[in-house]
Amino acid sequence: MAEQIELSSPPFDGISSVRFSPSSPSQLLVASWDTTVRLYDVDANEQKAKFDHRAAVLATCFGDNEHAYSGGLDTSVRELELNTEKINNLGQHSDSITSMNYSRDLNSLITGSWDRTLRFWDSRAANAQQASHSLPERVYQMDLVNYNLVVAMASRLFHIYDIRKMDVPAQTRESSLKYLTRALACMSDGQGYATASVEGRIAVEYFDPNPDVQEKKYAFKCHRQTIDNVDHVWPVNALAFHPIYNTFASAGSDGTVSIWDHKLKKRLRQYPKYHSAVPSISFNCDGTKLAVGVSYTWDEGEEGAKKAERPSVYIRTTGDEIKPKGWTGN
Amino acid sequence: MAKKKNKQVLRPWCWYCEREFEDEKVLMQHQKAKHFKCNLCPRRLNTAGGLAVHIQQVHKLEPENLPRIENALPGRDGYEVEIFGMEGIPAPDVADYKRRKEIELGLNPGSISQPPNKRPKVENRALSEDELRAQLAAHRALMGASERAAPAAEQSSAAVYGAPPQAYSSPPVPAMPPSVMSPPGMPPGVHPGAPPFAPPFAVPPFPMMPPMPPGASPPPGYPIPPPGMPPFPLPPGMLPPGAPAFPPPPGIRPPFPPPPFMPGGPPPGFTPPPGMALPPAPPTFVPASVSGSPPPPGAGGGVPPSVAAPPALRLPDPSLEQTYAPFKKPTVLKWADPNFSPEEHRAVHPKYYFPKDSTNQQMSGQDGEMRGKKRARAEDFL
Repeated sequence: MAEQIELSSPPFDGISSVRFSPSSPSQLLVASWDTTVRLYDVDANEQKAKFDHRAAVLATCFGDNEHAYSGGLDTSVRELELNTEKINNLGQHSDSITSMNYSRDLNSLITGSWDRTLRFWDSRAANAQQASHSLPERVYQMDLVNYNLVVAMASRLFHIYDIRKMDVPAQTRESSLKYLTRALACMSDGQGYATASVEGRIAVEYFDPNPDVQEKKYAFKCHRQTIDNVDHVWPVNALAFHPIYNTFASAGSDGTVSIWDHKLKKRLRQYPKYHSAVPSISFNCDGTKLAVGVSYTWDEGEEGAKKAERPSVYIRTTGDEIKPKGWTGN
Repeated sequence: MAKKKNKQVLRPWCWYCEREFEDEKVLMQHQKAKHFKCNLCPRRLNTAGGLAVHIQQVHKLEPENLPRIENALPGRDGYEVEIFGMEGIPAPDVADYKRRKEIELGLNPGSISQPPNKRPKVENRALSEDELRAQLAAHRALMGASERAAPAAEQSSAAVYGAPPQAYSSPPVPAMPPSVMSPPGMPPGVHPGAPPFAPPFAVPPFPMMPPMPPGASPPPGYPIPPPGMPPFPLPPGMLPPGAPAFPPPPGIRPPFPPPPFMPGGPPPGFTPPPGMALPPAPPTFVPASVSGSPPPPGAGGGVPPSVAAPPALRLPDPSLEQTYAPFKKPTVLKWADPNFSPEEHRAVHPKYYFPKDSTNQQMSGQDGEMRGKKRARAEDFL
């Protein structure tokens, strides 16, 4: 099979999020600034469903195999019925929704918004919104592993919650990076998370507050280039951990995607540069594919949009480059 | 050490793995690649001592935890012997190697090694400390005594730390008082008329190295709060960013530039010299189509008006406002707004702006004409 394919019917405007199904390796959701969420079967390279919204969509995620969720600038939380293309409105935030995760353990959808709240939803309940939790800042990213929910906010703030006990955050942290938080992903082994900033840098952190464990955290530079003695530093827009090998991929506005082994602190691979920035990436559930959304990310504002290239979604078949060196299996 | 006897040329060989090479250059390349390669980062060092210093200082491993030299014969995988190409090989090993070579080549004993070695054959035997010390003393004398830290076995780690100061020990750039920071309310990164890059000035050789004075408690440093704003306390259990496992001794910096994986970022508390400006701020979105001028950031307050004109971005909690310190090196930060993400700017662009007022609440669920307009606009974009 070819190393990578391009989806034949990508969104028309900037891609905000690509998310593979947690159980079906070929189902991919793509949310876009063109106000749609599209569902693809990447093996068949076929668009299976399209959901139109009233405004740009910033976040989407799978629930069970028949349902997905979406949210964006129109502040509504929607349930998408994947087989019938029907949309159910669950409720509303008071500002744009930027991120969402579905907990299969609690059967809850968790949404984060610029309105500085986290909200929990259950589409089966009469009143879908189950809870709302206030935060000090706008939610930029969230990720969930087991019961640990990491919330990355503006002003470089982080909260870590146990989603069974949402009244107080289990930990509050300030980013160890000095610049605006741009990306977040939890490790597949549940030990910690990686976060990235607009200043081409990634930090690897651990949940365990024990000082010995905390000492292992570190940060490194990436997604930058020195041209004529001037450092050009791009935002790191997305991170994704491999579900099996626990290595991770990073994607930047420089149009590159790199694979990292955070235990050995080594870069395993840098893929050839894409035509535009990479706003979002996702591994599928068995780790055999990496979806790469490629589109302008507004780093140069309206001016950049005028010369932006058409968005693309690439599906890369992963090889040995994502395995840690000396991987022998579990 | 005689290399030629009876016109027999003994080729350069590697003490660690006893491989032969065409010439000493290739041998050194081999040693860098096979034996002096750091397995924590891509760096290759020239000697075992260099590798030891590198691992201890860059990867913060304690001396007792150093990994053995890779691909080495048993007993030759330590850091005690300083090998550089053919230099530094312990004499008994040279003699032993020559004798085995003679046997292999079918030469008379002594035809390479003159005089024949009286010692019993000591293949791969660990050397005694006295032997090592004697050999290394001789070796050190040969090498000019101070050039390399070629310590006796039991002091190796200490001696490596105590390596003579390198030429890189220029003092760190003195930190400027925080008063050079932008006062609150002044948008960071907007310095009209300021040149995009600083005039040339002395850039410290290794900007990544934390210039932490010994004994000073590393301040969290970032963000440097504007006057009148309390700094963020570090949550318990969180280490200050970039703090090294141990402060480097004064005047000593690792004699190599930082590898790609250097823990921490710019040193905490560092403030670059004045005259340095952030790259120009990204264009602000004051669309020409909007008639009334939008309220300036931070002004007004209250609910954004529910008219077509998008409101300017406003910090929900101005006390959390972030500012960036200028960069030490000429840098183009592609996203320079410390307080709003690219998406927040994009969301208030007229093409994407979606008013959040009460009427939308009722409309939600029935996506009608509004969507058609949005879609048409989205396609204009292409």
